[in-house]
Amino acid sequence: MVNGYRPASLQEALEIKKTTDAVPYAGGTDLMVENRKGVSYLFLNGLEELRHIREEGDYISIGSCVTFTEALESDLIHPLMKEAVAQIAAPAIRNTGTFGGNIGNGSAKADSVLILFVCGAKIRLASVHGQRTVNMEDFYLGRKKLDLKPEELIVEILLPKRGLDNYYYKKVGGRNALAISRVSFAGLLTVENGRIQQMAAAFGAVSDTVLRFRDLEDRLSGKTLDEASAIKEELLSAYGERLVLTRGRVSAEYRKAVCMNLLKDFLEEKGI
Amino acid sequence: MEAINFLLNGEETAYDGSAADRLLDVLRDSFRMTSVKCGCKEGECGACSVLMNGILVNSCCVAMGAAEGANIVTLEGFRKTERFAVLNKAFAATSAVQCGFCIPGMVMAAEALLSKIPNPKDSQIREGLSGNLCRCTGYNAIVNAIHIAAKEGNGLW
Amino acid sequence: MENISQPVVKKDHEAKMAGRSVYVGDYENDGVLVGKMLRSKLARARLSDVNIPPLPNGYFYVDKSDVPGDNHVNIVMDDTPVYARETVEYIGEPIGMVVGPEEAVVDRILGEIQVSYEELEPVLDLGNADTVFFDYEYGKGNMEKAFAEADKIYEEEFTTGYQDQTYLETQGMMAEPEENGTMFIHGSLQCAYYVHGAVMRVLGCGPDQVHIKQDVTGGGFGGKEAFPSILGCQVAVAAKKAGAPVRCIFDRREDLEFTSKRHPSLCKYKVAVKNGKVTAMDIDVKFNSGAYTTLSAVVLQRGIICSNGIYNIENLHVRGRALKTNTTPNGAYRGFGAPQTFFAVEMMMDHIAMDLGIDSLEFKEKHIVKQGDSTSTSGKYHFPVPIPSMIEEIDQECDYRRKRREYAKPQTGRYRRGIGISMHFHGAGFTGSGERDIIKAVCKLHKYPDGTVEILASNGEIGQGLRTTFPKIVARELNLPLDKVYYDHPDTARVPDSGPTVASRSLMVVGELLRRCAIKLRTQWKDGEDQMVEERFKEPDFVIPFYLDKFQGDAYPTYAWGVNALEVEVDTYTGLTKILGAYGNFDVGTPIDYNIVMGQMEGGFLQGIGYASTEYMDYDQKGRIRNNSFSDYLIPTSADVTNLSCMLHVEKYPDGPYGAKGAGELPLVGVPAAYVEAVEQALGHGVKLNRAPFTAEDTMKVIMKEGL
Repeated sequence: MVNGYRPASLQEALEIKKTTDAVPYAGGTDLMVENRKGVSYLFLNGLEELRHIREEGDYISIGSCVTFTEALESDLIHPLMKEAVAQIAAPAIRNTGTFGGNIGNGSAKADSVLILFVCGAKIRLASVHGQRTVNMEDFYLGRKKLDLKPEELIVEILLPKRGLDNYYYKKVGGRNALAISRVSFAGLLTVENGRIQQMAAAFGAVSDTVLRFRDLEDRLSGKTLDEASAIKEELLSAYGERLVLTRGRVSAEYRKAVCMNLLKDFLEEKGI
Repeated sequence: MEAINFLLNGEETAYDGSAADRLLDVLRDSFRMTSVKCGCKEGECGACSVLMNGILVNSCCVAMGAAEGANIVTLEGFRKTERFAVLNKAFAATSAVQCGFCIPGMVMAAEALLSKIPNPKDSQIREGLSGNLCRCTGYNAIVNAIHIAAKEGNGLW
Repeated sequence: MENISQPVVKKDHEAKMAGRSVYVGDYENDGVLVGKMLRSKLARARLSDVNIPPLPNGYFYVDKSDVPGDNHVNIVMDDTPVYARETVEYIGEPIGMVVGPEEAVVDRILGEIQVSYEELEPVLDLGNADTVFFDYEYGKGNMEKAFAEADKIYEEEFTTGYQDQTYLETQGMMAEPEENGTMFIHGSLQCAYYVHGAVMRVLGCGPDQVHIKQDVTGGGFGGKEAFPSILGCQVAVAAKKAGAPVRCIFDRREDLEFTSKRHPSLCKYKVAVKNGKVTAMDIDVKFNSGAYTTLSAVVLQRGIICSNGIYNIENLHVRGRALKTNTTPNGAYRGFGAPQTFFAVEMMMDHIAMDLGIDSLEFKEKHIVKQGDSTSTSGKYHFPVPIPSMIEEIDQECDYRRKRREYAKPQTGRYRRGIGISMHFHGAGFTGSGERDIIKAVCKLHKYPDGTVEILASNGEIGQGLRTTFPKIVARELNLPLDKVYYDHPDTARVPDSGPTVASRSLMVVGELLRRCAIKLRTQWKDGEDQMVEERFKEPDFVIPFYLDKFQGDAYPTYAWGVNALEVEVDTYTGLTKILGAYGNFDVGTPIDYNIVMGQMEGGFLQGIGYASTEYMDYDQKGRIRNNSFSDYLIPTSADVTNLSCMLHVEKYPDGPYGAKGAGELPLVGVPAAYVEAVEQALGHGVKLNRAPFTAEDTMKVIMKEGL
């Protein structure tokens, strides 16, 4: 094969990743638009080791080459992730686009990545030297910058099984399909014995990376819903100060207004 | 160097160019499958839709190396089937074909949709076609045609 | 249903459905050279030097020095160059073309060419553009008196943006030098004779030394009315130099940035109201021409003729200017100037009604023209104006009046609803006496000894069904089965000039010509003989002659009428607007094929919705269009408007075939006002909206500003 490698196993793929500058190709829907000149691709889409969806302890393990359509058809994938993934582009893109590619592209607009952020998911990376697991939130370093070493491949996504049921999700694109997110928001609230265990709020497509402010979220931990309501305005105000957004296809003002509206709606929908 | 082997409309085919070449370009230029149209080259219009292992893909977003061992079906192959005949009659009945440029992609999308959902609701048809842009028809005639095909093609899908 | 209206299987259905149709990009590559444009990187500059690297064998660089004849492309006037002259006037202006066998090598060469510019200051703002390409003025009545006596005077400005045609098949043309020395040019186009005329001048040759054929064309909508003349000349010059076929097909980004679009507009209205009625309108229209004149004169003419809408305004003064900016030259797009001014006048009337505390439709209804009334240019509405009935029909269809009252009540909560209505017309055919004095359409019927009949005309099938509707008309008059009559893609070597495929004229004007031609053939028919019959355009007797210098007379012989209602739901948290229902009622006379006409109505209506809502396109401070891909220029998908329904109201036009009127453009013209009026109602609080498209971001701005 000219300008391409089709490894028969993950180990072989890792060897090639170490010894060449071939670009990892899972679904190809971002790479083929980029269409870099003189590139060689490392085709991962045939590797069974990267195509599983299975339970692994407290997580659902998703192989990095699982496509969005496959996720939509799996009973193991949580409705929150399905809702986000169902709104990516259009059928043909969902049929080929993958979780690994969505992360690897390094964009804050990535619809599945927003969910990984809000759930506190982990990513497993592999190289010839071994494996490591990273928190999704720590993996994005900046605009199109990932904590991905040159020899590493993204091999698995670990989505927590619990804490996702009480969710809120909204994608704001320019139209109903084939739409790149202009603002996206996901929220989770876990309440146990009348007290908030964890609130999570993640904002996508509005900055260099997906945004989460754990310190602000923690202000609600341990509170009852009423106690949380009492500090809601103060909390929203704090978010208002922290959300310093970039301009994209739409203005920063628009993005901020929508983010604040959705955040407020999320809190109120959940009884705060 | 080994060639890239795949099935094209049921025939064993080999491509000995670059694995980074676009499936769209190879289908059109090397294999003269000119029913596969280029509308944007960036996966945003669906004019280049083909079936790859039975799944709808934008051929402009598939590198040849990813097509190794795959079963590629274009309209040149699909138009020989009974299912196509049913779709053909239905599209004719609603006069769904205007300029025709989106049509090959629409037909492949219709086939992919009906293969998954043989009796789709309106909303499911519209979602199934949501990656195929049409500027001429406003989509109504195409959606209606697929309803008719689903009904008339009893048992085919 | 009228017999003629019964739908048939379209004649080009089979080939297109099976993927067998050959568009210009589908021809064999063997021996065909790829051509790609070298384009200006600056909006305005003097070209100091173009440094070409050494070219491999078989590769050529083509520019103005290679033009055998005149380096201008005739599009009404002659200012558009084939290849840039001493200056470049917009980002993307073609400086030259690189031509050769391998695309990758052509790309490499393009990358190596060094262009030196002497940068000049571009003019980019329509508001302070000072080069006036065209300046028209007309009026009637007594403006001074009307304004002096007014109870109140309203002044407002309205803006509309670009719209790109986004035909699914991009621009593409191919030129092939033929063995006998002629140049054969074919491609994706609407007006074969326009290209013919332009190429002749550029090659400096006679009419028989070049012929133009229309290939199967993947959509036009006006975007391929004039532009193919430019590309056709460019490939012709290249093919002449290279001595080999040259094909140039634009990629989508190129097409979105550098081909002709709908003119952005800025319209100022000053309206006098007395006793609750409009007594005078003083209108100032500015259209952004872009860098060259191309079709701006004609677009502007139509725009200003429509600027008082469907309303009987006795005191009227209209001034229109087409201004130069250093941006992509703008041209024809379905509606051709009318969508801009119909938007403005409908919103103006709506805002006056708001101020008077009356319902918008109720206010508008007081002013609707009737048969016999004078038009804006002191012509006459010769035929019935069915608007009042059409409004009732729409009301029945979507419960407009009740919803309008319902949504007028104060709304709180996240989701708010509104419904809007707009009325408009489209004058079919060339403005004024163009059909009679400029086009002078000729068509022929060739009957073969075997009894089949070929239609010879130059109008192009671009999806609107001419390859089916023309034969339907002829077959009916000749009492032949449809499969015995056919219409191929026009080749100027074989067909007479029946005029361009524009202005919604093909069916109404040429279709009628063909009908008369068929009647003539029927009376002369001789079995077994080879016969050729011709028919020439004759202006209907009732038409009041139109004088362009005074803008007086019948601008159009008749009008197609439209009423649109749009019901929306605005999400005040995101600014997104969901379209709950889109309803169109269109009078295009007798439909020559019900399915085909409905297809045109639905397609045009959806294009209008895009124009009103999501199809935002603009250029930056350097003059570069940034929305240059389908992910940034958003046209509706199948998932966006799921409840779009059209109906036909038939008022037959006696001089159209079986009563048909021009249809193609009508359904787009009135949509923006209905949409924006609906969003306006949803937002409530007396907000007045005055721009199209009105995007989610625009909506959010209003919500935030008004504290909604």
